[in-house]
Amino acid sequence: MHVLIINGSPRVKAFSNTDKILEQFTKGMAENGTTFEQYEVSDKKQWDAMRKAFAENNNILIALPLYVECIPGLLIEFLETVEKKADDTRLAFILQGGFAEGIQLRCGEEYLKILTERLGCTYAGTLVKGDNFSIRFFEGEKRDKVTAPYAAMGRRYAQDGGFDSEECRKFTGPEVFPAPVRLLVGFMFKTLAKKGFRSMATGWGCTKPLDYKPYM
Amino acid sequence: MILIVNTTSDHSVTEELKEQTDSKGIKAEIIETDSMHISHCIGCNYCWLKTPGECSIKDDYEIILKKIIHADQMWIISDTALGFLDHKGKNIYDRILPIATMYLKFKGDQMRHVPRYESRTDVGIIYKGEPDAEYLKRWNERAALNFESRSLGVFKTDEIKEAVSCMC
Repeated sequence: MHVLIINGSPRVKAFSNTDKILEQFTKGMAENGTTFEQYEVSDKKQWDAMRKAFAENNNILIALPLYVECIPGLLIEFLETVEKKADDTRLAFILQGGFAEGIQLRCGEEYLKILTERLGCTYAGTLVKGDNFSIRFFEGEKRDKVTAPYAAMGRRYAQDGGFDSEECRKFTGPEVFPAPVRLLVGFMFKTLAKKGFRSMATGWGCTKPLDYKPYM
Repeated sequence: MILIVNTTSDHSVTEELKEQTDSKGIKAEIIETDSMHISHCIGCNYCWLKTPGECSIKDDYEIILKKIIHADQMWIISDTALGFLDHKGKNIYDRILPIATMYLKFKGDQMRHVPRYESRTDVGIIYKGEPDAEYLKRWNERAALNFESRSLGVFKTDEIKEAVSCMC
């Protein structure tokens, strides 16, 4: 199988969490001899080649971050320019986001089914998982801990040509956290996490409080 | 104040809206974006972690952002594509991130970002074309969570009267 992979993240490749996920995913996917070509929607210079590849391939995987409950504006802008397909193209998605619960990604996932139909393709499922915000801030083993599980999903995709399996559904993790966990995590948001975010901001040269109100 | 952002190049919709809001004494401010430059969100996270509350993209979106935080309602007029808002309409939503902070909390049983400002802006859509209207309605309800507000509904351009009835 040969797969066209589109990284649908508007963030440049070097800092793209989706790209780091794809690194691991394609490692697993390629183990059985599956080949792929990958493009980045963030680089408009690639759009002509992407459009051509979209027309020519019949196994397509779009990996994307959730932007305001749906797909990013830049990915819509690109997809507005592709020809609707009339072959038996199978279109699958990796949908990822920052919030940790599966429920946060369901509205976006629902749209991907509509999108597939509007593009004239056959829906091959969506791999849904959140809790990925920190990938860009991590290096080495810490980053691998977050992204490495995607390699197994890549193997599964190479085998099934999609994400319609119990293993892929389980990959999402909890839909919502149980109340005691929410209490504990909620407490961490007010303490440890706040400190962590402030430390990230300082590392980026931020000199203002994170709740600063510039337009008041 | 009611903020109306027209991302289409069709000004007849905003002309009708102006007529109807004027006749009802509704204070509405209309922004036509076809003569503005508004980029997509690039997901840099600067508005949360480097320059809190400010977008790193210095384009005309800042004009809209400054008005949103003082608006009771924002209505987006948008063309549609692939069953959803077209990229111009979606970009207005995607660029909203600076009104939230990096900080997190639970709202009900789900995580949300802590809002940056005290005020809340309800959001509505007036669309052209043939989207999946049921989905768009559901999506806007979900999108409103990012404003910690509520959806005002989703209306076709031939349902302007119905949309205006929600402007108060």
